[in-house]
Amino acid sequence: MTHSSKNTAETPHGQHPKGFDASFMILATICLIAAIGVAWTKSPTDVVRISLESLGFLALLSPKIFCGFFIAAAVPILIPPDQLAHWVGKDSGPRGVVVVSFAGALIPGGPTMIFPLAANFRLAGASTATLISFVTAWNLLGVNRTVIWEISFLPIEFVTLRVLLCLPVPILVGFAAHRIFR
Amino acid sequence: MNIVIGTLVLGLLAAWVWQKLETNSHRQDALRTVRRMVRSNLPRLVIALITAGLLAELLPANIVQHYLGHTSGLNGLLIACALGMLTPGGGFVSFALAAGALKAGAATPTMIAYLLAWSQFSLTKVIAEELIFLGPRFILTRVAVTFPIPLLIGGIAMWLAQA
Repeated sequence: MTHSSKNTAETPHGQHPKGFDASFMILATICLIAAIGVAWTKSPTDVVRISLESLGFLALLSPKIFCGFFIAAAVPILIPPDQLAHWVGKDSGPRGVVVVSFAGALIPGGPTMIFPLAANFRLAGASTATLISFVTAWNLLGVNRTVIWEISFLPIEFVTLRVLLCLPVPILVGFAAHRIFR
Repeated sequence: MNIVIGTLVLGLLAAWVWQKLETNSHRQDALRTVRRMVRSNLPRLVIALITAGLLAELLPANIVQHYLGHTSGLNGLLIACALGMLTPGGGFVSFALAAGALKAGAATPTMIAYLLAWSQFSLTKVIAEELIFLGPRFILTRVAVTFPIPLLIGGIAMWLAQA
């Protein structure tokens, strides 16, 4: 790692998981058990067939994944996290809850981007209610995840229903938390 | 079809972002980050998609229909929530499993509850990432405020399906 770029090395936005950490090992173990299960109950050739199909599906999704990664990489350059945190930290009332609900849904990136960003918000003075709204919005309504993954696997009517039902939740949760923890 | 539309939307958005980045050095910085993301995520993606395919193959239709099907009611929602918490983070696994379960006869409301429980409380995500950056106090507070959501939204979906 001799050439880590400056604008990502210093910001929480730029932290990424290592390729082979604990959660990867958990996943790999589950994969192995599932492979043995399929080989045992069906046949070993089914394991090969499913693996190849999955790789084909990954290839099909790869342009979308690449675009998603690119957008996620570009957002911290366009909107510096410190500036965003400063902005969020200043307004910790109900209006702040609405603003971070949108931010949580729209800011692309996985947990290793979002949680450090939320920690930054807290350092900048954001309230617990604001942080709960932000994390809930990202959990339930993260656009990147829905567009890249959810609609690739699930029927569009299912996804639409789920998203519509979840739409008000981050704001309602934030208001509730704001009342409880004022 | 969903994949084509999603690819087009993200492609256009990426093109717009490329334009917005303006300078070449910004663009190079973004591409460097993308390379790093690919390196750290590719092994995970490959394993996760294969796992999802294998697990979907193993889902037993009769058990899925009985415990997560249209007549499973509140029990179905509760089971779905527990399964959601136990599913590891990373979108592909949970979405693929939900799709497999729907095909095997699971009801839409229970699968919505499953995905909401996974997205909010997946233990691997909470322990591996949220705990480190935001701490146990925040997690407890967040869980105290948001724990009924999967059941509540699943319940509303169930009510809508009956209405």
